[in-house]
Formats: sequence, structure tokens, C-alpha cells
Amino acid sequence: MSLSTLTKPWEAMSYGFLDGSAKRELRRKMLKSVAVPGCQTPYASREVPMARGWGTGGLQVSLTLVNPQTRVKVIDQGADDSVNAASIRRFISRVAGTPTTMDTLEADLIQSRHRIPEEILREDQVLVLQVPNPEPLRPVQPNMSIARQMHADADYGRMWLQLYEQIVRSGRVMQGASYPSLVHGRHVMTPSPIPRWDVPKLHMAKHLTILSAGREKRIFAVPPYTKVEPLVFSDVPYKVEEHGHLTCTRSGATGFFMNEIPQDDGSSAFEVSDSEWGVKTIRARDGEGESRGETWYKDGEMSE
Amino acid sequence: MAYVATRGGERAIEQSERLFREEMGGFDRQRVEEVKKSLPYLIDRVMGEASLYDEDLAALALAQTGGELYEAVLLLRAWRTTQPRLQVAEPIEQDTLFTHRRISAAFKDIPGGQVLGPTLDYAHRILATDVLQGEGYAPEPVEPAANPSPAYQPSVSAWQAENDLLEQPTPDGTTGNDIPDLTREPLLFPSKRAHTLQSLARAETGGVLALGYAAMRGYGQAHPTVNELRLAEAEIAVTHPDGRQFSAGRVKVSQAEVVDKKGEKLGIGYAATLGWNEVKCISAATLDLNSPGAEKGSATEEEFFLYHTEGVESSGFCIHFKLPHYVTFQSSLDAMRDAKAKKAEQSKSSDMEPAE
Repeated sequence: MSLSTLTKPWEAMSYGFLDGSAKRELRRKMLKSVAVPGCQTPYASREVPMARGWGTGGLQVSLTLVNPQTRVKVIDQGADDSVNAASIRRFISRVAGTPTTMDTLEADLIQSRHRIPEEILREDQVLVLQVPNPEPLRPVQPNMSIARQMHADADYGRMWLQLYEQIVRSGRVMQGASYPSLVHGRHVMTPSPIPRWDVPKLHMAKHLTILSAGREKRIFAVPPYTKVEPLVFSDVPYKVEEHGHLTCTRSGATGFFMNEIPQDDGSSAFEVSDSEWGVKTIRARDGEGESRGETWYKDGEMSE
Repeated sequence: MAYVATRGGERAIEQSERLFREEMGGFDRQRVEEVKKSLPYLIDRVMGEASLYDEDLAALALAQTGGELYEAVLLLRAWRTTQPRLQVAEPIEQDTLFTHRRISAAFKDIPGGQVLGPTLDYAHRILATDVLQGEGYAPEPVEPAANPSPAYQPSVSAWQAENDLLEQPTPDGTTGNDIPDLTREPLLFPSKRAHTLQSLARAETGGVLALGYAAMRGYGQAHPTVNELRLAEAEIAVTHPDGRQFSAGRVKVSQAEVVDKKGEKLGIGYAATLGWNEVKCISAATLDLNSPGAEKGSATEEEFFLYHTEGVESSGFCIHFKLPHYVTFQSSLDAMRDAKAKKAEQSKSSDMEPAE
């Protein structure tokens, strides 16, 4: 045995940036997360050439899952052209040679920050959500070792109490995004800061969702066909944002999650948050052909 | 296509980076050499926080980022994490350190003597404005002592343990790849001793100082005395696959032992880093000293200070707030408006119903 048989020719970086041992760890932790839906699995979370809090958790998962054929879509707040989404997409494609797309239907892997696309995802697609804070118990228990014990005991009383207190104080649950949800009837997870509008899309979904928090070093998953139930009291139903009646001023699309754009006269205009859905709607309107897939919401209502 | 106007992201980010780089202009090997030669203490700080001992790479990272320290450390960490772990060096004991500076505040004199070594501690901090008037600055030459102080010394705590003043921690016999490695495993609590020390070694200097200082001022249970502060060079001994041990070179290291005087014996806190980082070592050792039995959620509890002094994570999260957050904002706005409307409706109806 000589040194040359043990080593490979020098390369500036490994395929997909991460080295083999980092990818192996991630694969194992992903499998574990799939096996125990909604349960946070700690992982080493290597540094990547991007600042923590900028999607490093999602990026590590994406870099581990891709091969040169994987078609990658990256969105931030629903938009493919958002600066950080553009930066992540450029990075993945640069280090892994993956083709990229903006079309939800064409994508094999979608890395997203704070949104789930409006078109229904399929069994062959993977959604990777970037997670700033993986711990739904953080508002009631900032100490991570205690929170971990609470999950082990399924001790979610304080979580319920917090929701109850909001109803008493404000007449409704005030949780905006990151609505805490019970996965597979066992673990409460944060669905990441997706709007309430998007949480029902995870319930019994056909696709695999992997949620990864790079800074906090936790990974968890919602496997296909898994129950995801927002925490609600039986007499106070879950309410998504009242966007069902809004119309996009650019595309004319109605019944989807919108971005509010303040106007000079004090009023608000709206544009559809899923930017590619907006583009497709405009194309259809302008007679450039129909490329829209089935959507989760129809006429502003979540379909069963 | 009507959405074309909003597809400017990719071009904009490229130009913004160009703008940043334009200020510093190009740089070359020579600038890296100058940074390395003229700023050794900055290099040490960066190497410590990056947990990567390589003066050339540290200088390169500083040159490449224009001295944006958090960016420089991130560059090095992201490079470091892709490198294979070829060998684990032999453990180092204090009495094998080639010592440049070793002082103790606990005793007037210590075995081996107080060795001041290089320091600005007693300098008058007067800005050398003459230099800007065109005067050169040449330091006075060092006059070597007639009797050089011994280069190798045990730790002060070893002497104290011999004299039954403190309980030495039980030696950890773990070697090689069995040593827990924070860069390959997540930090979990209660933290492994190796993880705690590694985490403090690569903590962000300012963060460790802030929390350590809080403990020193009275938000901790123990007031530190610097038992020993040492700047030294450590021999990196590695074992060749054929069994022979050899030196892979020397690295600058610093360490601090701090003690408290509360019980019948001295309590001890310890920290060590790559590079010469005195403020960091003393602060980190103070946190270590205060951590046993600290209240959950207090600044001296290990989960609190280890999480919050991790510079790459804290700085990254801080700057991430610059990213757009309009979806989450919209979601909260919706709840706020709805709650407000409900309240207005309630106050309109004159007879309030009692709460259920």
C-alpha cells in the first residue's frame, strides 16, 4: 500500500461542497427524522460558505440530496428572484452542476424559505424548508435541554396554555407564521415560518418535507402521507390568513396567499406571493399557453 | 413577460459584491504577507475563533474580507470543515509547553518565577501620532536577561494540588478519534467536557468577554483570581502510520486557570485557545469556573454561554434579519387586524356578555 492508493487527485472542493463524512451524517440523520416524524434530530451542521441564518440548514440538506440530474428550485418568501434565493440557487448549481428551474412542477428538489408553493407537490418531489428556530417550545421554554425533555414526555401543556391565553387576551390565536402543529399524533413541530395558509399543505401530503435548521443544528421531517395537525381547540377552528378573496394586481390570480404592497394613497395593492404562479397566470392570460398545475387551494379554499 | 422587472436579483447581488470589493481593490500574496507580519494578534484572534491554526490562511481571510472579522472567521470555518481529519495529535501537558509568558496573580512569586514575556500590560497607551507626521517608529531592542527563565514549567494548579489546595480534575484518558469533536458532532447538554472546552476555545472573543465580565461583576457565583495565565508554543506530536512519533511543528497557544476561594479547597476554571488570546482565555475560564451549579437560563450556565458565544452562528443570525421577512410579517398583520376588528365589534355591542 502506498500513499497514492489511499489518496485521490487534489480537487479544490468535493462534489456538492460538503465532504463525504458530512453527507453521510446528514443522510443518517435524515433517515432518522423520516422514521420519527416531527422529532428534532441533532446534527453536526457544518459551516458552509454562507452565513448562518441564511439557509445553511436547508443548503446542507440540498447539497446532500442532489446529483447532477436533480432539477433544483429555490424560493425565498415565495419568490425565485429574491436575492438570497438567487444566491443559493447559483451556489448549488455551481458546486453540484445541477440544472435549475423556477417551475414548481419541473423541480425535483425545492429549497424554500417561509413558503410552500401553491401547486400540489408530487411523490417524486422533495421540499426542503429552511428553519430559523426548530423549537416550537422556545416561547414557553427557552432552555433547549428542558424543552428536549418536554418533547420526550409529550409535555405540551404550556403550549396549549399559551394558545388559550392568546384567545383570552385578544379574542383569537395570535400566532402568525410558524404555527405549532402535531405531527403523526406525537411530536409538536414548528412548520418553519410558513404562513398559516401553507400548514394544511403538509397534512397527508404526497411529497417528503425535510426541515433543517443549520444554526441550531436540528433536522426534522414530515414524510409523505403523514398527519400534520395545527394545535387548535375543538371550539376555535384553525384560521388561515384571510387572503382567499384577494386578487393579484399584476396577474389577476385570485384565491392565493398575497404580498401586501402599500400604496401612496394609503391603500394596499396585492400581488401573489408565489412568484412563479404569478408568472404562469400572466402567461395563460396573455395566451402564451397553459402551464399551471393543480393547486392546493381552489377559489381561495383548501381542497380536501 | 410582465414579471421581468422583478427578476433583477441575480444581477443586483453580483454588483453589490463588486461594490464591496472595489473599496479594497485587488490584493496579492504580498498583502497577505504584510497582514500576517504586522497584525499577529489579530491573526491569533481569527485563528482561535476559526479553530484553524494557519497564519497564512488567516491572513488571506483577513485580506479577502477587508478585516470584516465575522466574515473572515466564517471563510476559514467553511474551508476548515471540508478538510479531512488525517491525524489526531498527542495530548499536551502544561510542562511540555515552550513558555513565553507565565504569570500568576494568586502568589507574589511562583515556582519558575513570574515570567512577564511579551505584553502591553504596563505600556502607556499613547497614540504614536508622530508616525503620521512622517517619523518612523522603531521599537527599543530587547535586552536578554542574564539568566533566562526556564522554558518548561508545570501549571500552578499542579503545585496547588500537590499541596492539597485544590482537587485536580480526574485525567481523561480518551485518545485519538474517540475524543469528542465539536466540529463533527452537535453540542448537546449536559455538555461533554471536551465539547465545552472546544466550544470556549473557538468562541467569539467579544461574546465571551461580555458574559465573562457579567460574571466577574457579580452576575456569577464566583469571583475569579488568575491562578495562571500562559502564552506558549506547543509541539504538535503525531504518530506516523508506521508507529514513529514526530513533530508536525509548533503552534502558539494560550491558557488561563482561574480559581475561586469559596470552599475549603480552591475551585478551578480553565480555558485554552489556539493563538495568544489573553482576554478570551481569562473570560472563558471565568465562565467555566462559574458554570457548575449555575441556575438554568443564567448567563453562567453552560447552555446559555456556549450557545451565545458561538460567533459564526450569532453573527449570521444577526445579519439574517436583513433578509426579507414579508411573508411572516403579513401573517402576523392578518392576525393583528382580525383581533382589532373583533375588539371594535365587541365595544360596539353595548351589553357585554360575561366570560364563559
